[in-house]
Amino acid sequence: MSATTADRPAAGGRRRSSRARRRLLGTIGHRVLVALLLVYLLAPFVWMTVYSLYPATALQTLTPDLDPRQIRLDAYLGMLSDPSFLVPMANSAIVGISTTIVCMVLGSACAYVIARYRFRGRQTLLLGMLTVQAVPVIVLAVPLFILLRAFGQYDTLLGLVITYTAFILPLVVWMLVGFFEELPPSLERAAIIDGCNRLQIMTRIAVPLAAPGLAATAILAFITSWSDFFLAKVLTISNATTLPVRTAAFQGLFAMDYTAAATAGVITAVPVLVLALVAQKWIIRGLVEGAVKG
Amino acid sequence: MADIELVGVQKDYGRGRKAVRAVHDLSYTIADGDFVSLLGPSGCGKSTTLNMIAGLEDITGGEILIDGRRVDDLDPDKRDLAFVFQDYALYPHMDVRDNIGFGLRMRKVDKAETERRVVDAARRLDIEHVLGNRPRNLSGGQRQRVALARAIARRPKVFLFDEPLSNLDALLRDQTRSELKLLHAELGATSVYVTHDQEEAMTLSDRIVVMSRGRLEQYGSPYDIYHRPATEFVASFVGKPRMNLLPATRVECGRYAVGGSSFTVDVPGVDAERIRLGLRPEECSVQPVGEGEHASGVVKVVEPLGNASDVTLDLGSCLFVVRIPGFTGLTVGDPVLLSAQGATLHCFDPDGGARLTAADAR
Repeated sequence: MSATTADRPAAGGRRRSSRARRRLLGTIGHRVLVALLLVYLLAPFVWMTVYSLYPATALQTLTPDLDPRQIRLDAYLGMLSDPSFLVPMANSAIVGISTTIVCMVLGSACAYVIARYRFRGRQTLLLGMLTVQAVPVIVLAVPLFILLRAFGQYDTLLGLVITYTAFILPLVVWMLVGFFEELPPSLERAAIIDGCNRLQIMTRIAVPLAAPGLAATAILAFITSWSDFFLAKVLTISNATTLPVRTAAFQGLFAMDYTAAATAGVITAVPVLVLALVAQKWIIRGLVEGAVKG
Repeated sequence: MADIELVGVQKDYGRGRKAVRAVHDLSYTIADGDFVSLLGPSGCGKSTTLNMIAGLEDITGGEILIDGRRVDDLDPDKRDLAFVFQDYALYPHMDVRDNIGFGLRMRKVDKAETERRVVDAARRLDIEHVLGNRPRNLSGGQRQRVALARAIARRPKVFLFDEPLSNLDALLRDQTRSELKLLHAELGATSVYVTHDQEEAMTLSDRIVVMSRGRLEQYGSPYDIYHRPATEFVASFVGKPRMNLLPATRVECGRYAVGGSSFTVDVPGVDAERIRLGLRPEECSVQPVGEGEHASGVVKVVEPLGNASDVTLDLGSCLFVVRIPGFTGLTVGDPVLLSAQGATLHCFDPDGGARLTAADAR
């Protein structure tokens, strides 16, 4: 009897230690997987950055020479003074900013109405907006090309802005509905008592309060239009070429300037990276709310 | 200052056959300068009524008049009233000064006057030191005061309160309640106050509107509501502990047996076979059974509260609560004698719940 009671704590201790060991193994496995995933995701970008900073001769050997003294910024300086690169860059900025502004102005007004008014077909409208997202861009590329050419907007910045707005606006509305729905209705009621009309409620109360959500959505809209390659490739040829299309052009038929391609790649990716880092918390919140609240 | 008149006010939600009536035919007048509470359980239509007075919800039928002027077709900001919300509804992106002054700015009151009124309201509510803070940096009590200051600064004819104390802890609630009463005495503005807390309604109000299931049960002074409840619902809702409401059957002329037990009560002036009889626990008494006496029931539960004790008696077929002063020596299982000597008898129609008097009892 006494032996049994003495054994019990020992057995309990063994069980505890085996559970702790299992938990430790699980943590290690998880960390290793995360590290592998990070390497898989980051390695191309790191290698691209390395390529843009080192002379090609130092890298195109069996044992690449990564001596920091070899780092050169010549490729960046050259590219940022080359009009054939600066024009697409400016085009991308104009298209990105314009699309974002149009999407935010139209999207916030539309989302506010959907969030605050109960009307027949509200849910269908929201679902319809998501359905648009499910249509592959490639299916619409040819009709869009024909449509823009017919309206004289092929290879124009306006054509690109209209096209991007059509694709991004439903997503913007979907996300913003979640943010506006989160605002307590009593705030708007207080504003009504204080003498605000609907537009003033939106501009003075709802928009400032949903500012983090609006910022996240705006960044997402900008990133999407800034980094699009496919539509820009199909709908432009020379005048309205954007940065991703110009970057891809460094790949020649017979030869390739790796350093120039890598430098252009880094310049294209940096704004996206910076914006994504700044807004990652808001973007995740926005996406989750959009998904749950709709 | 203004009086508020409700004439046959109704509210339906939905349309056609799916319409649900939330408020039925409310008609009463809130006198100029009165503090009136709308009291009732959740879902009784009291907040809907307040929102209809404010203009935050449209009325389906009837009229609302403020100072004799019909307002139910006016926008809320044209009705000259201020609203204090349950969750305070302070604008999180503005500091306290801007929160208090927002309504004035929207009404294009000049800057100097706005500032003067903001500071005056803040001084009255002792929140001058937090004027530069954002609402998130304030305690619950301070937020509540800012909400009150926002209402005061507007200097409206009518104040509307939607359960403004329900988010405060018990101690702060009592303190703020007293301050609210002082504030009303000082400002003298007509006030309508929604609450489900009968203590709040009784302590603050000049008159109380008791509502149940969208209908007006009684409109009267706290004294009337407590001492002469118009319906069985009012009798059961007002008073703590709740009134004992039991079926009573006539055993002889003017004498009724309560809840089928041996406990009988003389009810003079009522001539009905069956009634619902109400007795307030604090007006009844209980004592241990003496030698040769027949017990009315046995003690089932004793709840000492400090200044009083609630004793629940089992009368055989029903339970009966008696509140006695201080602590009691009674213990569970003791046979006791129940007495309603000197207690006010409240008789109600067992079918409709209306108060019975000698004249209308059959």
